[in-house]
Amino acid sequence: MNTKAKRFRTLYLSLFFVMLYIPVLSVIMYSFNKSPSTAQWTGFTLDWYKELFSDRVIADAFKISIQVAVLTSLLSAIIGTATAIISIYVTEKMEKTLNGLMLLPLLVPEIALGVSLLLFFSALKMPFGITTLVLSHSLFCVPYVYIMVQLRLKEIDISIIEAAKDLGAARWQIIKTIIIPLVLPSIITASLLALAISLDDVVISTYMAGATSTTLPVHIFSMMRVGVTPKINALCTLILVGTFFIIGFSQIFNKKK
Amino acid sequence: MKKFKQNAPAIPILVWFGLLVGIPLIFVLVLSFLSRDSLGNIVVEFTLDNYKRIFDPIYLKVFFNSFLLATLTALITLLIGYPVAYFTAKLETKKKALAILLIILPFWISSLLRTYGWIILLGNRGLINNILLNLHIIDKPLGMMYKFGTILTGTAYMLIPFMIIAIYNSVDKLDKSLLEASYDLGAGKWKTFFSITLPLTIPGIAGGFTLVFIPALGLYFISDLLGGGKNIFLGNLINSMVTKGRNRPLAAAFSVGMIVMVLIVLFIYNRITRNNKERLL
Repeated sequence: MNTKAKRFRTLYLSLFFVMLYIPVLSVIMYSFNKSPSTAQWTGFTLDWYKELFSDRVIADAFKISIQVAVLTSLLSAIIGTATAIISIYVTEKMEKTLNGLMLLPLLVPEIALGVSLLLFFSALKMPFGITTLVLSHSLFCVPYVYIMVQLRLKEIDISIIEAAKDLGAARWQIIKTIIIPLVLPSIITASLLALAISLDDVVISTYMAGATSTTLPVHIFSMMRVGVTPKINALCTLILVGTFFIIGFSQIFNKKK
Repeated sequence: MKKFKQNAPAIPILVWFGLLVGIPLIFVLVLSFLSRDSLGNIVVEFTLDNYKRIFDPIYLKVFFNSFLLATLTALITLLIGYPVAYFTAKLETKKKALAILLIILPFWISSLLRTYGWIILLGNRGLINNILLNLHIIDKPLGMMYKFGTILTGTAYMLIPFMIIAIYNSVDKLDKSLLEASYDLGAGKWKTFFSITLPLTIPGIAGGFTLVFIPALGLYFISDLLGGGKNIFLGNLINSMVTKGRNRPLAAAFSVGMIVMVLIVLFIYNRITRNNKERLL
């Protein structure tokens, strides 16, 4: 490839990545601005972060979010892993059905899914709160666990399982002592991803949260609708750092295999 | 019977999906044919009124707006994203890994933060206006917020990683020998691109189009934050009908309308990639 084309390629990609990260970086930058307005930069401060920690509403929303995320991630890990393991034992047709079903929650627009669950749960007179949040979040977290565990399952050497079978191991013994330990890194990675996805959801949570169970993103959304304050910047920056920490942690497990 | 026994462990999973996806969606479909009384309570009485109201010029315009937003978002992300995917696929291994990381990373950045970033940039007291004012290029802030273009920018920005990843997968799998053959036969760069690379990456383009179009229909928080309620899209309309208007049957009918639009896009995607093994979905 000639140098001119190569230079153009580098220029285009650099420009694109700068554009991709400028909005994010400006949010982070203004979280350290002394002035409450973005109109000018008046100096570095950590005051907005301090203010966050004394905000009771944010603390409560954060607690709800963490509870929901942890429960969602556990539930998704169990259902996703179970489905992936079941998918190797069922007929090919059933496996295809399961694969298709897993894509469904990712293909229906989130708002349509949220509204349908809202109408359904309220018709059942189910109280909105942590239960409805966890159920709805796991709906779109299970597919991630399923896909990641299934990928790992396909890498397992069949002869190990055959050998166990020949030696008289029952199916559940094979699952417990061979399959689960082998796919464990994928399960951990996937459930950490589920944790991050649940922590970030706005659309479905808006419909599923009860009066006393507002999640952090739902609260942030309502703050943003009111206007720009550096407090939002600080909160968003903290969440960004937290999420990257979770994702980075999940990658460590992913590489260990 | 043997087959049934083999498939029996899958039954709880089918029930789970049936309860949380199947039944709610059927419920919405049924609800969309029911009426409501003056208090907003649902009345079990068959009616087609909710669907008739979709053809009300005001609501029809909302449908058209949403369709336009989703289509333009897909087109813009395609035009900007195709070169990104194409160039990334041609990078050396180390740089490639970095580029892919940079493309994927935004998935893990809160979508609210990424939308809010545009308010910080484009607002009347935002970064861009500050710079331009301080450089005396303009003497009063440019009104860049609350326009259709603002929402389009925000939505395209949110979804472009999907487009790039879909196209990248296609470009990366291209058989290099086909390109070499084309050059050997004397075809130029552009000719090779338009007669070989582009047609062979159509599954990726179609996949990216689908992955961008579907969420673009329903991301109401972007139009809410960047559009300031001036531009109404399907997502905002359904959202306000459910939360404020308490007209649930009508909200159900609009949700059905949205799902029908998604089904049409998926159907087209299926037709385009029917004979292709490299399909994404």
